[in-house]
Amino acid sequence: MRTLRAPGGPPGRWAVLAALVVLAVVMLFPFVIVTLNAIKSPAEYSSGGPLSLPQGVYLDGIVEFWQRVDFGRKLWNSFLISGTVALAAVVLSVLNAYAIGIGRVRGRLWILVFFLVANTLPQEALVYPLYYLAKQAGLYDSTLAVIVIFTVIQAAFGTYLLSAVLGQFPREILEAAALDGAGRWRTLWRIVVPISRPTLSVLVIFFFIWTWNEFFLPLIFLISNDNQTVPVALGVLQGDKMMDATMSSASALLGIVPAVAFFLIFQRTLTRGITVGAVK
Amino acid sequence: MKMGRSTAVAVLAAAALALAACGGGRSGSGDGSGDGSSGQARTLTLWHYEGADSAMGKAWAEAVKQFEASHPGVQVKFEEKGFEQIQKTAGMVLNSDEAPDLMEYNKGNATAGLLSKQGLLTDLSDEAAKRGWDKLLSPSLQTTARYDDRGIMGSGRWFGVPNYGEYVMVYYNKDLFEKQGVEVPTTFDELTAVLDAFAKAGTTPIAMAGAEYPAQQLFYLLALNQADRAWVNSFQLYQGKVDFHGPQLTYAARTFADWVGKGYIGKDSAGMKAEDMGVAFISGKFPMMVSGSWWYGRLQSEIKDFEWGSFLWPGNLAPGSSGNLWVVPEKAENKDLAYDFIDITMKKEIQNLLGNSGGIPVAADPSAITDEKSKELIENFNELSSRDGLAFYPDWPAPGYYDVLVAGLQELINGGKKPEAVLDEIAQPYEDNLADIGN
Repeated sequence: MRTLRAPGGPPGRWAVLAALVVLAVVMLFPFVIVTLNAIKSPAEYSSGGPLSLPQGVYLDGIVEFWQRVDFGRKLWNSFLISGTVALAAVVLSVLNAYAIGIGRVRGRLWILVFFLVANTLPQEALVYPLYYLAKQAGLYDSTLAVIVIFTVIQAAFGTYLLSAVLGQFPREILEAAALDGAGRWRTLWRIVVPISRPTLSVLVIFFFIWTWNEFFLPLIFLISNDNQTVPVALGVLQGDKMMDATMSSASALLGIVPAVAFFLIFQRTLTRGITVGAVK
Repeated sequence: MKMGRSTAVAVLAAAALALAACGGGRSGSGDGSGDGSSGQARTLTLWHYEGADSAMGKAWAEAVKQFEASHPGVQVKFEEKGFEQIQKTAGMVLNSDEAPDLMEYNKGNATAGLLSKQGLLTDLSDEAAKRGWDKLLSPSLQTTARYDDRGIMGSGRWFGVPNYGEYVMVYYNKDLFEKQGVEVPTTFDELTAVLDAFAKAGTTPIAMAGAEYPAQQLFYLLALNQADRAWVNSFQLYQGKVDFHGPQLTYAARTFADWVGKGYIGKDSAGMKAEDMGVAFISGKFPMMVSGSWWYGRLQSEIKDFEWGSFLWPGNLAPGSSGNLWVVPEKAENKDLAYDFIDITMKKEIQNLLGNSGGIPVAADPSAITDEKSKELIENFNELSSRDGLAFYPDWPAPGYYDVLVAGLQELINGGKKPEAVLDEIAQPYEDNLADIGN
């Protein structure tokens, strides 16, 4: 341990660097393969296989896929669903966690266990009950159904996590707020939420990306092509016995880019948020 | 789920504000089917999952044009779906008000048969008789269109109409055949001799994929070499008893293992996927690939470096059947339009277009097929179909049987189990299913 931690020890540094490089290569490899195949023509793919280098840039696959599934619309659907879910789920998690973590309601342990169990339920088990509920409520084949479902699913995890975080919330601050005459509502929005902002931002980003990547429930609930999300649209290319490897790669590339872009953009705000919190 | 529901109510309230924006999208999706029966401006909602460039995609796009021309005031709302989406959601969609008027669906007991049993599909018997579809389709093609009250194919009412056919054949690399100095085999002994010649020269003759359907189709072909129609009907339609240790399947399992041992099939193919197999054949690494007509269009457009052709597997029977079906959901709002559309796709003109685009039409005019390779494909199919040689697919008889066969044949390829043990392994799920359906 000590040799690794020693700041000046060259061997330790190099080992860490090498390990990080290997890790980076492993992480980036799939992206490289996808990109390579996305810009290959189908004939090149078939004669050279997935690992060969493309001879030129062939963008027809990407363009054709975009038009075929009306990708702009899918992007907007995905963005709307993921964005709404991320915000709504965090608000809901905060409200729940405030009651459980700070309010210390009776039976909070059991409530948390319940949320944890709900979290581990496979989505396949939820499909039929949700299907009948959505049909009864007239929400089948609407984005609202997916938003409601994922808000609940993500909030279950969020509540679990935030309850633990708020359980450790400094009592002194809360007492000071109470002495200053802040009610529960005011304490929540003026004290607890600003101080936990870094955690909340992380949750928003996670919820957004998780919801963005969801495939199964949107597949079941979004029937019309006009309502579909990006991952469901990618499924159009998977045939009965055939697959179109180059176009699938093209579509996968289109599917990954928004989530990566979102992460890169918000990672900055995230670090800024954390440093601001630290100064306070 | 108690938690889920009560929280859902809370979410509804909490999220109501944020969701105001989505309200617009919601109402937009509802009006497609709502004004269906008002007489003016009707819409035929059509779903299928064939790519736009495939033979079916091209032919059906033309059918849409003809339909709109002959039905003024009717608009066709076509939605391209993914295969998986239709597979996973069909039961739920058809049970709701969002059902389309007409859709493509998988043939077979576990798919169309199941939905027909659940009352989700419209009985098409009257239309089939009235519009002559029953005369256009040969008996072995009709097998997959008709389902009895238990949802088992082969007899009973019409619940689907197949528009194209498919079968398993041998694709071969003419250049490699020439180099090896072998001819296209016409008997099973000649085939074995060809395989042996390649194996002795150090080439693995058959491109194979153990992780997916190709292995079981080759296995089934070997069994069919020892079988007749009665055996196929027993195995597929439960019209008799199938002995898994009888001559047919025993021969298939032993021969398959033997071929692996002799190097006709690569030992490393157990983990290969069908896509890998196809790419290996297209890049000229294997002299033969035993697989279905669904490869045809792709081989035609992507093989540039060598000459290739196809021949029927020596034997009377081969895996094959009608293609997927047109089905009309019971809850469809414009059934009359759906029937008209099916009728257009069965017309000579559309069928010929399907044939000339690399597909296998079921009711084309053979002389109208101009493309040389397509002609070979269709003539072979017609020969097989006319001698009642379409033996369906080995994974059809029981739900989940595909994975059972994949696992069993992987054992044969990597030598993990003896042929007899594999037969025991694949017999059990088959017998269990028989017990389930009460045979």
